Amino acid sequence: MKFGKYLIDKYIEILIVIFGYIIILMMLFAFKVPSQVIIGITIILIISCFGVILIGYIKRRKFYNNLINNVDKLDKKYLVLEMLNEPSFYDGKIFYQVLYEINKSMNENVKQYEISLIDFKEYIELWIHEIKLPISSLTLMNHNQKNKLYKRYEEQIRKIDSYVDQILYFVRSENAEKDYLIKETNLKKIINNVAMKNKDDLLANNISLNVEVNDEMVLTDSKWLEFIINQIISNSIKYTRDDVDSIIKLKTEEHSKQIDLHIYDNGIGIPAKDIKRVFEKTFTGENGRNRSKTTGMGLYIVKRLCEKLGHKIVVKSVQNEYTDVIISFSKNDFYKIKN
Amino acid sequence: MKTILVVEDEKTIRDELKELLETSGYNVILLEKFDNTLNDILNTEFDLLLLDINLPKVNGEFILKEIRKTTNVPIIMLTSRANVTDEVLSMSYGSDDYITKPYNPNILLLRIGNIFKRMEKNINVITYDDIKVYQNKGMLVKDNKELDLTKNEMIIFSLLLRNRGNIVTRDELMTELWNNEEYVNENALTVNISRLRAKLEDFGIENAIETKKGQGYKLL
Repeated sequence: MKFGKYLIDKYIEILIVIFGYIIILMMLFAFKVPSQVIIGITIILIISCFGVILIGYIKRRKFYNNLINNVDKLDKKYLVLEMLNEPSFYDGKIFYQVLYEINKSMNENVKQYEISLIDFKEYIELWIHEIKLPISSLTLMNHNQKNKLYKRYEEQIRKIDSYVDQILYFVRSENAEKDYLIKETNLKKIINNVAMKNKDDLLANNISLNVEVNDEMVLTDSKWLEFIINQIISNSIKYTRDDVDSIIKLKTEEHSKQIDLHIYDNGIGIPAKDIKRVFEKTFTGENGRNRSKTTGMGLYIVKRLCEKLGHKIVVKSVQNEYTDVIISFSKNDFYKIKN
Repeated sequence: MKTILVVEDEKTIRDELKELLETSGYNVILLEKFDNTLNDILNTEFDLLLLDINLPKVNGEFILKEIRKTTNVPIIMLTSRANVTDEVLSMSYGSDDYITKPYNPNILLLRIGNIFKRMEKNINVITYDDIKVYQNKGMLVKDNKELDLTKNEMIIFSLLLRNRGNIVTRDELMTELWNNEEYVNENALTVNISRLRAKLEDFGIENAIETKKGQGYKLL
């Protein structure tokens, strides 16, 4: 807050005082008041007028400078009211009160959205729990029937299940809540679960699965990581090349600070212009458009989950040669619980 | 015959589970009323319990905890919640396994089979007529003659032996191999079986494995 600008802002008040002063001056001259008295009155008037303006300025300067500074400094600017004292001047009080009301109403509004979002998330989780029951029933019925189309039915049921899972993890990845548990997990076991899940697809498409993973323990959430690896392998199965024997290779590399898991395939690869954008939401790219219908959500969710778990994920690829997805797990002794 | 108690409130799943388990040679008891679940379970005699986590009126984890106070019977938890806390909780309360719906029926059977196998772990040596089968060493012994099998061959032979006289489908063999982290393809399975046949023949066991066209294999 600058004094000059404040002064200019007060020009009407100043003009009124000057106008009043001129009238007083004229009256004093008309009554032939001695010049000493006129000088005295002039000085008193100037001092008191100046004093009034200055006091008004000082009061406001403290309040507004405080406000401006705090807004500048704060990351979440809407919290500024928490750091402000109620001012002592009247218009400031009104201003403060109104700010308070606005803040309160916004908080209520945000809260409402938050509640409806949580409700929605809970409903989705519940719904997924419910839809898994008929999917389970179908799987079992199909297995017990053992008719000719058994394998093909099973494939479709698996697809339904995998899409349902995608929604579940999307909701979880978008949510600020921490509903995962990081602990030491056997990578081989997770890979085995994913392999079992995709066994029939891999065999039906003549894709060899090559796993070179020792009994490595990584810090992660097993369910989330299973979903992540499953998404990546599903992509590998989707985007194979016809002119080579398809292979998917999972391999770990141990470094001093991290363990890298490579998920390599010799499929169609990703065009160079698309590779930077594969983790973007709803990005489908050339492959997605040409090969199969895709929502472009899979890798986006994968990236989000990796960020939450603190894993680094990188994609390397040469079109028509290979795709290599690398997930890095940090080796942090801090997390290790000592027995 | 082993008896399995199924505690699952969803009727369709319950009935299908019964059919699945019965065709695989287990005796199945179903719990159909859930007014007094814990007592009903404790008053039933069984060798293994399949327990759903979400039951009416009572939580499966609570039941698990209560059962563990009195018995060490194997328990597999079934759930549709893909939630790691549930899994950790179940395991810490003493469940033997934890399977998320929708489970692959073959995997479910495999896990059940594994638990029973683990219980009989002391009998590491099983026999095939007068031949001793050392699964861990991958070796068959007959009259001081030894036959070495590769890991894959042993997995195949063991599964056939466990289901001796019955047809084992290629799919079941494949599931067993993959579950043991041997990610072989169809050709490799065929090659492994013919090699196993050749080895057994050399060893003096002729025509032991019969091929049932379009169905699978049978160990005579």
